[in-house]
Amino acid sequence: MATAAYPPPPPYYRLYKDYLQNPNSAPEPPPPIEGTYICFGGNYTTDDVLPSLEEQGVRQLYPKGPNIDFKKELRSLNRELQLHILELSDVLVERPSQYARRVEDISLIFKNLHHLLNSLRPHQARATLIHILELQIQRRKQAVEDIKRRREEAQRRLKESLGTLEGQ
Amino acid sequence: MDIISQLQEQINQIAGIAFNTFGTLQRDAPPVRLSPNYPEPPANPTEDAANFAEQPKLMSAALVKAAKQFDALVAALPLAEGGEEAQLKRIAELQSENDAVGQDLQRQLEAAEKELKQVQELFSQAADNCLNLKKPN
Repeated sequence: MATAAYPPPPPYYRLYKDYLQNPNSAPEPPPPIEGTYICFGGNYTTDDVLPSLEEQGVRQLYPKGPNIDFKKELRSLNRELQLHILELSDVLVERPSQYARRVEDISLIFKNLHHLLNSLRPHQARATLIHILELQIQRRKQAVEDIKRRREEAQRRLKESLGTLEGQ
Repeated sequence: MDIISQLQEQINQIAGIAFNTFGTLQRDAPPVRLSPNYPEPPANPTEDAANFAEQPKLMSAALVKAAKQFDALVAALPLAEGGEEAQLKRIAELQSENDAVGQDLQRQLEAAEKELKQVQELFSQAADNCLNLKKPN
Protein backbone atom coordinates (compact mmCIF):
# COMPACT_ATOMS: atom_id res chain seq x y z
CA MET A 1 0.00 0.00 0.00
CA ALA A 2 1.39 3.40 -1.00
CA THR A 3 2.11 5.75 1.88
CA ALA A 4 2.88 9.44 1.66
CA ALA A 5 6.58 10.20 1.30
CA TYR A 6 8.30 12.41 3.87
CA PRO A 7 8.53 16.09 2.89
CA PRO A 8 11.77 16.93 1.10
CA PRO A 9 14.53 18.75 2.98
CA PRO A 10 14.39 22.57 2.77
CA PRO A 11 15.94 23.72 -0.54
CA TYR A 12 18.62 25.98 0.99
CA TYR A 13 20.88 23.04 1.76
CA ARG A 14 22.71 23.91 -1.49
CA LEU A 15 24.05 27.08 0.13
CA TYR A 16 26.15 24.97 2.52
CA LYS A 17 28.08 23.11 -0.18
CA ASP A 18 31.51 24.53 0.73
CA TYR A 19 30.97 24.64 4.48
CA LEU A 20 33.88 22.32 5.28
CA GLN A 21 36.36 24.39 3.32
CA ASN A 22 35.11 27.81 4.26
CA PRO A 23 32.60 28.10 7.13
CA ASN A 24 31.95 31.76 6.28
CA SER A 25 30.61 31.05 2.79
CA ALA A 26 27.30 29.79 4.17
CA PRO A 27 24.56 32.05 5.57
CA GLU A 28 24.28 32.65 9.33
CA PRO A 29 21.47 30.88 11.25
CA PRO A 30 18.38 33.10 11.66
CA PRO A 31 18.31 35.23 14.85
CA PRO A 32 15.96 34.18 17.70
CA ILE A 33 12.39 35.43 17.34
CA GLU A 34 11.11 38.08 19.72
CA GLY A 35 7.54 38.99 20.49
CA THR A 36 4.67 36.92 19.11
CA TYR A 37 4.93 34.35 16.35
CA ILE A 38 2.55 32.09 14.46
CA CYS A 39 3.13 28.33 14.50
CA PHE A 40 0.75 25.94 12.65
CA GLY A 41 -1.94 28.58 12.63
CA GLY A 42 -1.72 29.30 16.37
CA ASN A 43 -0.40 32.45 18.01
CA TYR A 44 2.35 32.03 20.55
CA THR A 45 4.27 34.54 22.58
CA THR A 46 7.89 34.45 23.70
CA ASP A 47 7.11 36.41 26.85
CA ASP A 48 6.13 33.64 29.31
CA VAL A 49 4.35 35.39 32.14
CA LEU A 50 1.38 34.06 34.12
CA PRO A 51 -1.73 36.03 32.97
CA SER A 52 -3.57 37.56 35.89
CA LEU A 53 -7.04 36.34 36.74
CA GLU A 54 -8.82 39.41 35.38
CA GLU A 55 -7.27 38.78 31.96
CA GLN A 56 -8.89 35.35 31.97
CA GLY A 57 -12.24 36.82 33.02
CA VAL A 58 -12.21 35.24 36.47
CA ARG A 59 -13.03 37.16 39.65
CA GLN A 60 -10.13 37.34 42.11
CA LEU A 61 -11.17 36.33 45.61
CA TYR A 62 -7.95 37.00 47.51
CA PRO A 63 -6.74 40.59 48.09
CA LYS A 64 -4.42 42.11 45.53
CA GLY A 65 -1.23 43.86 46.50
CA PRO A 66 2.55 43.59 46.28
CA ASN A 67 3.16 40.97 48.97
CA ILE A 68 0.51 38.31 49.40
CA ASP A 69 0.56 36.08 52.48
CA PHE A 70 0.22 32.85 50.55
CA LYS A 71 -0.28 30.53 53.48
CA LYS A 72 -3.08 32.61 54.98
CA GLU A 73 -4.87 33.03 51.64
CA LEU A 74 -4.58 29.35 50.77
CA ARG A 75 -6.00 28.33 54.13
CA SER A 76 -8.92 30.78 53.96
CA LEU A 77 -9.73 29.67 50.39
CA ASN A 78 -9.73 26.06 51.60
CA ARG A 79 -12.25 26.93 54.33
CA GLU A 80 -14.42 28.79 51.81
CA LEU A 81 -14.31 25.71 49.58
CA GLN A 82 -15.49 23.42 52.35
CA LEU A 83 -18.34 25.81 53.24
CA HIS A 84 -19.45 25.99 49.62
CA ILE A 85 -19.47 22.22 49.27
CA LEU A 86 -21.65 22.02 52.38
CA GLU A 87 -23.95 24.69 50.92
CA LEU A 88 -24.22 22.72 47.69
CA SER A 89 -25.28 19.60 49.53
CA ASP A 90 -27.94 21.63 51.41
CA VAL A 91 -29.23 23.16 48.17
CA LEU A 92 -29.48 19.73 46.58
CA VAL A 93 -31.63 18.54 49.46
CA GLU A 94 -33.98 21.50 49.62
CA ARG A 95 -34.04 23.38 46.29
CA PRO A 96 -32.39 21.02 43.77
CA SER A 97 -32.99 23.22 40.75
CA GLN A 98 -30.68 25.97 42.03
CA TYR A 99 -27.46 24.03 41.95
CA ALA A 100 -25.91 25.97 39.07
CA ARG A 101 -24.99 29.08 41.04
CA ARG A 102 -23.34 27.03 43.79
CA VAL A 103 -21.38 24.91 41.31
CA GLU A 104 -20.14 28.12 39.65
CA ASP A 105 -18.96 29.44 43.02
CA ILE A 106 -17.09 26.22 43.74
CA SER A 107 -15.32 26.30 40.37
CA LEU A 108 -14.42 29.96 40.97
CA ILE A 109 -12.74 29.01 44.23
CA PHE A 110 -10.81 26.23 42.49
CA LYS A 111 -9.61 28.62 39.79
CA ASN A 112 -8.40 31.06 42.44
CA LEU A 113 -6.59 28.28 44.31
CA HIS A 114 -4.77 27.13 41.21
CA HIS A 115 -3.86 30.67 40.22
CA LEU A 116 -2.35 31.29 43.67
CA LEU A 117 -0.26 28.15 43.38
CA ASN A 118 0.90 29.06 39.88
CA SER A 119 2.01 32.47 41.09
CA LEU A 120 4.20 30.71 43.65
CA ARG A 121 6.26 29.07 40.90
CA PRO A 122 8.58 32.06 40.15
CA HIS A 123 9.34 32.25 43.86
CA GLN A 124 10.17 28.54 43.81
CA ALA A 125 12.42 29.02 40.78
CA ARG A 126 14.39 31.77 42.54
CA ALA A 127 14.69 29.69 45.71
CA THR A 128 16.00 26.74 43.67
CA LEU A 129 18.56 29.03 42.03
CA ILE A 130 19.72 30.27 45.44
CA HIS A 131 20.07 26.70 46.65
CA ILE A 132 22.08 25.64 43.58
CA LEU A 133 24.42 28.65 43.94
CA GLU A 134 25.02 27.85 47.60
CA LEU A 135 25.82 24.22 46.77
CA GLN A 136 28.20 25.29 44.02
CA ILE A 137 30.03 27.71 46.30
CA GLN A 138 30.39 25.00 48.91
CA ARG A 139 31.79 22.53 46.35
CA ARG A 140 34.26 25.08 44.99
CA LYS A 141 35.52 25.94 48.47
CA GLN A 142 35.95 22.24 49.18
CA ALA A 143 37.94 21.84 45.96
CA VAL A 144 40.21 24.77 46.87
CA GLU A 145 40.88 23.21 50.28
CA ASP A 146 41.64 19.84 48.68
CA ILE A 147 44.11 21.31 46.19
CA LYS A 148 45.89 23.30 48.93
CA ARG A 149 46.22 20.21 51.08
CA ARG A 150 47.59 18.10 48.24
CA ARG A 151 50.12 20.73 47.27
CA GLU A 152 51.37 20.99 50.83
CA GLU A 153 51.55 17.21 51.04
CA ALA A 154 53.58 17.09 47.83
CA GLN A 155 55.99 19.77 49.07
CA ARG A 156 56.46 17.88 52.31
CA ARG A 157 57.26 14.63 50.54
CA LEU A 158 59.69 16.33 48.17
CA LYS A 159 61.54 17.83 51.14
CA GLU A 160 61.59 14.42 52.82
CA SER A 161 62.98 12.71 49.77
CA LEU A 162 65.57 15.48 49.41
CA GLY A 163 66.62 14.84 52.99
CA THR A 164 66.85 11.09 52.34
CA LEU A 165 68.90 11.62 49.18
CA GLU A 166 71.34 13.96 50.89
CA GLY A 167 71.74 11.56 53.75
CA GLN A 168 72.99 8.89 51.35
CA MET B 1 7.39 15.64 44.13
CA ASP B 2 7.92 19.25 45.10
CA ILE B 3 5.58 20.87 47.56
CA ILE B 4 3.72 23.07 45.07
CA SER B 5 2.95 20.10 42.80
CA GLN B 6 1.78 18.19 45.87
CA LEU B 7 -0.54 21.07 46.74
CA GLN B 8 -1.91 21.10 43.19
CA GLU B 9 -2.48 17.34 43.33
CA GLN B 10 -4.24 17.71 46.67
CA ILE B 11 -6.60 20.37 45.29
CA ASN B 12 -7.48 18.11 42.36
CA GLN B 13 -8.07 15.26 44.77
CA ILE B 14 -10.46 17.37 46.86
CA ALA B 15 -12.35 18.23 43.67
CA GLY B 16 -12.50 14.56 42.70
CA ILE B 17 -13.80 13.48 46.09
CA ALA B 18 -16.43 16.25 46.01
CA PHE B 19 -17.90 15.35 42.64
CA ASN B 20 -17.66 11.63 43.30
CA THR B 21 -19.53 12.15 46.56
CA PHE B 22 -22.39 14.06 44.95
CA GLY B 23 -22.53 11.78 41.93
CA THR B 24 -22.63 8.56 43.93
CA LEU B 25 -25.19 9.81 46.43
CA GLN B 26 -27.41 11.15 43.69
CA ARG B 27 -27.21 7.94 41.71
CA ASP B 28 -27.72 5.51 44.57
CA ALA B 29 -30.20 7.35 46.79
CA PRO B 30 -33.41 5.37 47.51
CA PRO B 31 -36.66 6.97 46.20
CA VAL B 32 -38.39 9.48 48.51
CA ARG B 33 -42.05 10.50 48.82
CA LEU B 34 -42.49 14.03 47.34
CA SER B 35 -46.18 14.86 47.91
CA PRO B 36 -49.18 13.24 49.63
CA ASN B 37 -50.96 13.00 46.24
CA TYR B 38 -48.61 10.37 44.91
CA PRO B 39 -48.53 6.90 46.36
CA GLU B 40 -45.74 5.75 48.60
CA PRO B 41 -42.83 4.56 46.42
CA PRO B 42 -42.26 0.80 46.48
CA ALA B 43 -39.76 0.24 49.22
CA ASN B 44 -37.22 -2.22 47.81
CA PRO B 45 -35.27 -3.46 50.78
CA THR B 46 -32.26 -4.40 48.69
CA GLU B 47 -28.97 -5.09 50.34
CA ASP B 48 -27.56 -1.64 49.53
CA ALA B 49 -30.03 0.03 51.86
CA ALA B 50 -27.82 -0.93 54.74
CA ASN B 51 -24.61 0.04 52.94
CA PHE B 52 -26.13 3.21 51.66
CA ALA B 53 -26.54 4.73 55.09
CA GLU B 54 -22.77 4.44 55.52
CA GLN B 55 -21.84 6.17 52.24
CA PRO B 56 -22.40 9.81 53.23
CA LYS B 57 -20.42 9.30 56.43
CA LEU B 58 -17.48 7.65 54.66
CA MET B 59 -17.38 10.15 51.83
CA SER B 60 -17.60 13.22 54.02
CA ALA B 61 -14.88 11.77 56.22
CA ALA B 62 -12.68 11.39 53.12
CA LEU B 63 -13.43 14.99 52.09
CA VAL B 64 -12.52 16.40 55.49
CA LYS B 65 -9.37 14.28 55.60
CA ALA B 66 -8.30 15.62 52.20
CA ALA B 67 -8.93 19.19 53.34
CA LYS B 68 -6.86 18.63 56.49
CA GLN B 69 -4.06 17.18 54.36
CA PHE B 70 -4.15 20.34 52.25
CA ASP B 71 -3.81 22.50 55.37
CA ALA B 72 -0.87 20.41 56.53
CA LEU B 73 0.84 20.87 53.15
CA VAL B 74 0.23 24.63 53.27
CA ALA B 75 1.84 24.74 56.71
CA ALA B 76 4.88 22.96 55.25
CA LEU B 77 5.48 25.62 52.58
CA PRO B 78 9.02 27.02 52.98
CA LEU B 79 8.18 30.69 52.34
CA ALA B 80 11.12 32.05 54.30
CA GLU B 81 12.18 35.04 52.21
CA GLY B 82 10.25 38.28 52.46
CA GLY B 83 9.67 38.94 48.77
CA GLU B 84 11.12 39.08 45.32
CA GLU B 85 13.68 41.84 45.98
CA ALA B 86 15.20 40.00 48.93
CA GLN B 87 15.62 36.90 46.79
CA LEU B 88 17.16 38.84 43.89
CA LYS B 89 19.57 40.58 46.28
CA ARG B 90 20.63 37.23 47.72
CA ILE B 91 21.14 35.83 44.20
CA ALA B 92 23.40 38.79 43.32
CA GLU B 93 25.43 38.29 46.52
CA LEU B 94 25.82 34.58 45.88
CA GLN B 95 26.86 35.21 42.27
CA SER B 96 29.64 37.59 43.28
CA GLU B 97 30.84 35.20 45.99
CA ASN B 98 30.75 32.36 43.46
CA ASP B 99 32.89 34.40 41.05
CA ALA B 100 35.46 35.19 43.76
CA VAL B 101 35.71 31.55 44.87
CA GLY B 102 35.90 30.48 41.22
CA GLN B 103 38.87 32.74 40.60
CA ASP B 104 40.52 31.42 43.74
CA LEU B 105 40.03 27.89 42.49
CA GLN B 106 41.44 28.83 39.09
CA ARG B 107 44.60 30.28 40.66
CA GLN B 108 45.12 27.22 42.86
CA LEU B 109 44.65 24.95 39.86
CA GLU B 110 47.19 26.82 37.76
CA ALA B 111 49.77 26.81 40.54
CA ALA B 112 49.22 23.10 41.15
CA GLU B 113 49.56 22.30 37.45
CA LYS B 114 52.78 24.31 37.24
CA GLU B 115 54.23 22.44 40.20
CA LEU B 116 53.14 19.14 38.67
CA LYS B 117 54.99 19.98 35.45
CA GLN B 118 58.11 20.90 37.36
CA VAL B 119 58.08 17.69 39.35
CA GLN B 120 57.48 15.63 36.21
CA GLU B 121 60.40 17.35 34.46
CA LEU B 122 62.74 16.79 37.41
CA PHE B 123 61.62 13.19 37.73
CA SER B 124 62.28 12.43 34.08
CA GLN B 125 65.76 14.01 34.37
CA ALA B 126 66.53 11.96 37.47
CA ALA B 127 65.30 8.80 35.76
CA ASP B 128 67.44 9.53 32.71
CA ASN B 129 70.49 10.05 34.89
CA CYS B 130 69.86 6.82 36.72
CA LEU B 131 69.48 4.83 33.57
CA ASN B 132 72.47 6.58 31.91
CA LEU B 133 70.62 7.14 28.71
CA LYS B 134 72.74 8.37 25.86
CA LYS B 135 71.12 10.06 22.88
CA PRO B 136 71.76 8.13 19.67
CA ASN B 137 73.98 10.38 17.50
